[in-house]
Amino acid sequence: MWSVALKATWKQNFYMMRRYLFNTLSGFITLYIVFALLFHGTRAVGAGTMNLGDTLEGMFAGYVTWMLALMGCTDLAWNITNEAQSGTLEQLCLSPLGYKWVLVFNQSFTFFANFLVVGLITVSMSLTTGQAIHMDLVSVIPVVLAIYVQALGLGFVLAGLALIYKRIQAVFQIVQFALIGFFFVPFDAFPVARYLPLTEGRKLLQEVLMGGIRIWQTQWADLGPMLAATALYIVVGVACFAVAESKARSRGLLGQY
Amino acid sequence: MSFLAVTGLCKTFRDKKNTVEAVKDLSFSVEEGEMVGLLGPNGAGKTTTIKCILGLVRPDSGQITVGGVDCRRYPNLALRDMAAVLEGARNTYWRLTAWENIAYFAGIHGLSEKKGKDYFEYLVDVLRLREKKNTEVRNLSSGFKQKVAVACALAKRTPLVFLDEPTLGLDVESSYELREALRKLQTEERRTIIVSSHDMHVVQDICQRAIIVSHGRIVADEAIPQLLSLFATRQYKIAVADGSGRRVGQSGTQEAVTSAFPQASFKQVGDALEVTVSLADPGDIYCLVEILRERGAVVDAITREEVDLEKAFLEIVRRENATCGA
Repeated sequence: MWSVALKATWKQNFYMMRRYLFNTLSGFITLYIVFALLFHGTRAVGAGTMNLGDTLEGMFAGYVTWMLALMGCTDLAWNITNEAQSGTLEQLCLSPLGYKWVLVFNQSFTFFANFLVVGLITVSMSLTTGQAIHMDLVSVIPVVLAIYVQALGLGFVLAGLALIYKRIQAVFQIVQFALIGFFFVPFDAFPVARYLPLTEGRKLLQEVLMGGIRIWQTQWADLGPMLAATALYIVVGVACFAVAESKARSRGLLGQY
Repeated sequence: MSFLAVTGLCKTFRDKKNTVEAVKDLSFSVEEGEMVGLLGPNGAGKTTTIKCILGLVRPDSGQITVGGVDCRRYPNLALRDMAAVLEGARNTYWRLTAWENIAYFAGIHGLSEKKGKDYFEYLVDVLRLREKKNTEVRNLSSGFKQKVAVACALAKRTPLVFLDEPTLGLDVESSYELREALRKLQTEERRTIIVSSHDMHVVQDICQRAIIVSHGRIVADEAIPQLLSLFATRQYKIAVADGSGRRVGQSGTQEAVTSAFPQASFKQVGDALEVTVSLADPGDIYCLVEILRERGAVVDAITREEVDLEKAFLEIVRRENATCGA
């Protein structure tokens, strides 16, 4: 039953992506253009003026992390809002697997699709900036996955809110930009800040992607907080979502928009 | 043992301003292979009842079992046996084709496209979707959209199916086709189908039994022929003329009839009077004729009203409203 549902969800997502091809492509192009503007703007104003990690490497890794966070965090919540709006949310809740798993299957497709997209944009960004990158997938994928799962944890919280309040698109938009705030946290001065979402992940991504460091060469002092934060945010996110889902069922809100 | 058993179901919705008792101590059961109509005015609690059974709304109390499985304790296990169309055409992805929708919804229910292909094809034929099979739902008429939603629910091959307003917004032909298809499926597959609808003709046409809900309570639960016979013997229409040439209304006839039959209604048609009355005892017709005769009225014709489900439903709900003081 599980593999059948997973396959059906991937197929459905693929068809939807194909049908909304223009939408999908324009999203990618926009992300690339925003980066190009940021890069050329930074160069024009002078390096260091914009504090996106102080260096081009920092900006590069920060942007890749932000793209992943955007996709992991807000995609999930947008998805629920759209399903509620189109009237399919209740049908998904009728799956004997439970709605949570339907969401997870959806997100598994979105992760692979987004991983490819972010990869393509990263290569384009590398060509634009001349910044060398090390696409060592064995090292890159675990870090990317950790960043994505942390963002997904936040996404589950937002998705839970979306289940109850539905019309909270404005919050999603604020969160999209608020995520950038995590890159500015000076966690060298505040060690506990390593456990904030995305911060340690961004640092490790920079080391792996730009520095060419292998995952097993990184220190446990860096890897540990990232893994702990990943576990923490996904557990808290899923728990919040479960509470919100229960409230939504109790108040009969699943079919409303 | 009934396939679906609902006992003492209660659900109250509360917010800061209002408290609405949507379902009050509702109990009923449905046997395997039965096609049952769930009727009621707006806000009667039909959809809440269905959603409580499906687990989409959490009831405050009560017990629900489907195929012997406790729905409240094991919701996912119970969902293996249930499917539903809840908001008609809004239940599907408009950017997917009819076939892709069917395959997807069956898929997340655990039935693969490969395994279900023959049955999906069968449904496509029964619901007359063949030509539209590969058309995106957004490009279909509302009738076809509705049929796709029904096909998605039926494709899961669950023994229990809920159809909430399946013919809403359909033209006469599409409604007829859908009813035909449902009858065929029920006969051939012995599925238990619960139809909630405002369209009494649909329920009268395809269901064996009707459960009428009003103010969150069941006010009638009868086989449809019995429900109709209950009212058919009692509703009379009497055309009355006045023997003396005066208008019937002027001779005090209405007052005399009303004092004996308070629920009688009158319609003046020219100089004639049309009296519609529901009689508790068929023998009362003689009493009524006697009252009319005493007032000098001449009975032109007595017809027993043909009662359909809509009339029976209205009568039951009116009585319930009168009892509840609504």
